[in-house]
Amino acid sequence: MTRLLLALVAVVAAALPVSGETSRGFRQLLDAVVRIDVREFAYEAGAKRFQSGVGSGVIGSEDGLILTNAHVVGLRAVEINVTLANLERVSAELVGWDHWTDLALLRLDPEEVANKGHKFAVAKFGDSERLDPGETVYAVGTPHGLTRTVTRGIISNPRRFFADSRGVKGYETGQFNTWLQTDAAINPGNSGGPLVTSNGRIVGINSRGYSGADNLGFAIPSTIAKRVMAGLAEDGAITRSYVGIVPGALRDLEDFYDLELNRGMLINSVDPGSPAAEAGLRGGDILLAINGEPVDGRFPEQLPPIKNLIASQPIGTQLRLTIKRAYATVDHRVVTEELVSRVGEESVVEVWGLSIREVSRPYARENQLPDEEGVLVIGVQRGFPAAVAGLSSGDVITKINDQPISSIADILAIAQAYENEPQQVLVEARRKFRVSLYVLKP
Amino acid sequence: MISKFLPRIAAVLAISCYAAEAQSPDYPAMLEERLASVVAVEFTIEHEMDRTVNTAYGIVIDNEGTVILESGAISDRATPNQLTDFKIYRPGQPSTQFARGEYVGQDGYTTWHFVKVAPEGRHNLKPITDFVSNDPGALPAMAETVWGIGLRQKDEDFAPYFLRSQVSMIQRLPQLTGIALQGVAGRGCPIFNNRGEFVGVGASGFGQRMMIYSQRRRGEMSVLLNPDEAAGFRLAPEVLSAVGRIPDNPFGRPLPWFGIDGIDPVAPEVAEFLGLGSATGLVISEIMQGSPAETGGLSPRDIIIAIDGRPLPRLKPDQVVAAHLMREILKRQPGDVITFTILRDKLELELPVELGDAPKTPKESERRYFEDFGLTVRETVFSDVVARREDPSQLSGVIVHFVKPSSPLGTAGVRVDDWVKEIDGTPVDSYAQAVELLDEAEASGRPELVLLVSRGGETAVMRAKIDA
Repeated sequence: MTRLLLALVAVVAAALPVSGETSRGFRQLLDAVVRIDVREFAYEAGAKRFQSGVGSGVIGSEDGLILTNAHVVGLRAVEINVTLANLERVSAELVGWDHWTDLALLRLDPEEVANKGHKFAVAKFGDSERLDPGETVYAVGTPHGLTRTVTRGIISNPRRFFADSRGVKGYETGQFNTWLQTDAAINPGNSGGPLVTSNGRIVGINSRGYSGADNLGFAIPSTIAKRVMAGLAEDGAITRSYVGIVPGALRDLEDFYDLELNRGMLINSVDPGSPAAEAGLRGGDILLAINGEPVDGRFPEQLPPIKNLIASQPIGTQLRLTIKRAYATVDHRVVTEELVSRVGEESVVEVWGLSIREVSRPYARENQLPDEEGVLVIGVQRGFPAAVAGLSSGDVITKINDQPISSIADILAIAQAYENEPQQVLVEARRKFRVSLYVLKP
Repeated sequence: MISKFLPRIAAVLAISCYAAEAQSPDYPAMLEERLASVVAVEFTIEHEMDRTVNTAYGIVIDNEGTVILESGAISDRATPNQLTDFKIYRPGQPSTQFARGEYVGQDGYTTWHFVKVAPEGRHNLKPITDFVSNDPGALPAMAETVWGIGLRQKDEDFAPYFLRSQVSMIQRLPQLTGIALQGVAGRGCPIFNNRGEFVGVGASGFGQRMMIYSQRRRGEMSVLLNPDEAAGFRLAPEVLSAVGRIPDNPFGRPLPWFGIDGIDPVAPEVAEFLGLGSATGLVISEIMQGSPAETGGLSPRDIIIAIDGRPLPRLKPDQVVAAHLMREILKRQPGDVITFTILRDKLELELPVELGDAPKTPKESERRYFEDFGLTVRETVFSDVVARREDPSQLSGVIVHFVKPSSPLGTAGVRVDDWVKEIDGTPVDSYAQAVELLDEAEASGRPELVLLVSRGGETAVMRAKIDA
């Protein structure tokens, strides 16, 4: 009995970062974790509205760069307040943003830090590639606003694949990375905080959990976070290349396509009008190699690295894609384009109660629109001219007063004229494939 | 001279009408006699996995045993080949007695379905035309008393019952439609006035918005419809137009074709802005490739404001105007010429358009069920390709019409309306080729079937494991 008890104590002790070296590392990490309070605006429902939120972050450099999630601090943040481990508050600014990996980079206001002599620790990165399932990890952050909360769990799966086409404030995420899955409790507010090993090394940035599920949390692996952080510090954004192939897992289809085991990636679909489509690729083709390097896309979690390989080429790079179709294997030359989000630039015409967004190439493709002309309605305010006339979210405005509309600027110019001298305006919009006319009245 | 007598004549008329109203009509006798025009029609729809037995009520329109059923009586998805085992029951007769019937077809313009009663079942049937007033175009007056026939279900031998109400409203939707204060006939059953003259056929419930109060969810607005008794009814002139339109084939061919899509009625504010006065307009969103509309010179975004010189009427609700245009087209024949007045860049243009012959519809497309795969594919037709935003001059591939739940293909993720582009790696150029490939795959006993399907403009490879 005593023995059993001792054994239990030992197990518990091993799981906690108590020994000298590890506790120092862990304590230093705790001193590098911050709470982030953010106020940002949104162009929702035909008005410019402010929202506030709370998240977590971790200081990753001596000059006060903070890594957090893209869904914690967005491009429309107007006020970012960081609470340091010593409970001092410092304002910060957004340095860079990358929704594809759900990462954002902030910088503590250097003047404020210098003037008030704020002290903070800098966290160290570990190697997420070397994590094993079952390894103990800790999540540190501000779940539900509860500052400085540490939860513990294990690595449930070091290479989980999922992509979400609207996961980060309506932007796409997860296409170019796999995720660490953990059962350490991840709640709203944990977002942007670090997932660390017992010696306090960052192995992931906590990002999301399944709501309604028990302890299914996900973090961006540190190898990716480090790379993105460097890119964001340098350019404020990560530029990626695009060729327009939608991959599928090859699983079980090797025989059908007569392939060697662990060779090739299935192309499920080719975006119309994309470089790959221009080059003659189509759904059902097998990608065997990129620039002569064999690819292996048998399982879903093998797809993000392949996509990332293409994405990390400079824009305009010519790629040699080795494609197998039926019994023929042919090399196709494809020149990459810049990857853009389905979410275009947004604005609002408050006098009409109309929120608008540029029609992006992916949005046009997704909705089978003939072109990228027009401006998308993303919200209307009840009782305002746009809503009264019958416009609603999803309409694409193509003409106003017989003048073709191709950008937000076109609408804002007409709205300005309307504000100066309000008079009836005839709007032509497309809802799905139906063209309708609306009259906006003062 | 005439004017001097007019008031007196009017007064006499008024008194005689009053007298007719006052002298209570002999409803039981009238109902008994008019039951000879009413039948209950039972039919079976054969599906891939099962069959459903349906019942509808219809009226007899001639002495050859022709019965009409409203368009909603038979599911739009069912093709004539799937409709079997028509049985005709007489109201109140034992349900063990029935006559056989046969499906004739659906008329494109009136949308009525036509069913023929077998000769042995035609005795004692009376066409509804026997009860038409001297003025077949006459409409019931507002507040006029009307009465109709309802039928119970089969378990009660389709027993007839009496319903009575008053006319509350007359509308063009764009079919001439009457609305009564409450249910006045079964759906598909006839309605009469107090003189026993036929005034219409029960069409649908009259949707009334109701608030539902319950302990769980409060104050939710719902529309309540009575499924058994119709308060809305198609008026006699509308119904009688079916008499001369018995189709000689199940699809009601020839069907005229114009070739436009996305017909959007302009709101009154827009009509005013465009200077259409009391008339209205229809925005044409799309012109189909190779259609008569295209040949006739119409362009997307043209606004149709008149047909053969007649301005479009301001029917309410707005959407009815679009239906009015479609009816104007459907009541004509392929080869007829319609002149459209359109508004383009603020200019009025007159465009004569010769109507064509409608391309094959999805309902007419050939199809086959493959039991081993749990899959029905059908021929790709013009409208399938148009709906998928591709070039309709290329009718390649086949369309998935049915997927058996938990079947190999269902499990693989194939869904109804997917467009199959390749079967086992071979591009599908025609329906015949698809059937050949699937037959071959079924016969080969191969353990898998691989399809390349297109859905929403994206393709995907789907692999189904086939049980040996």
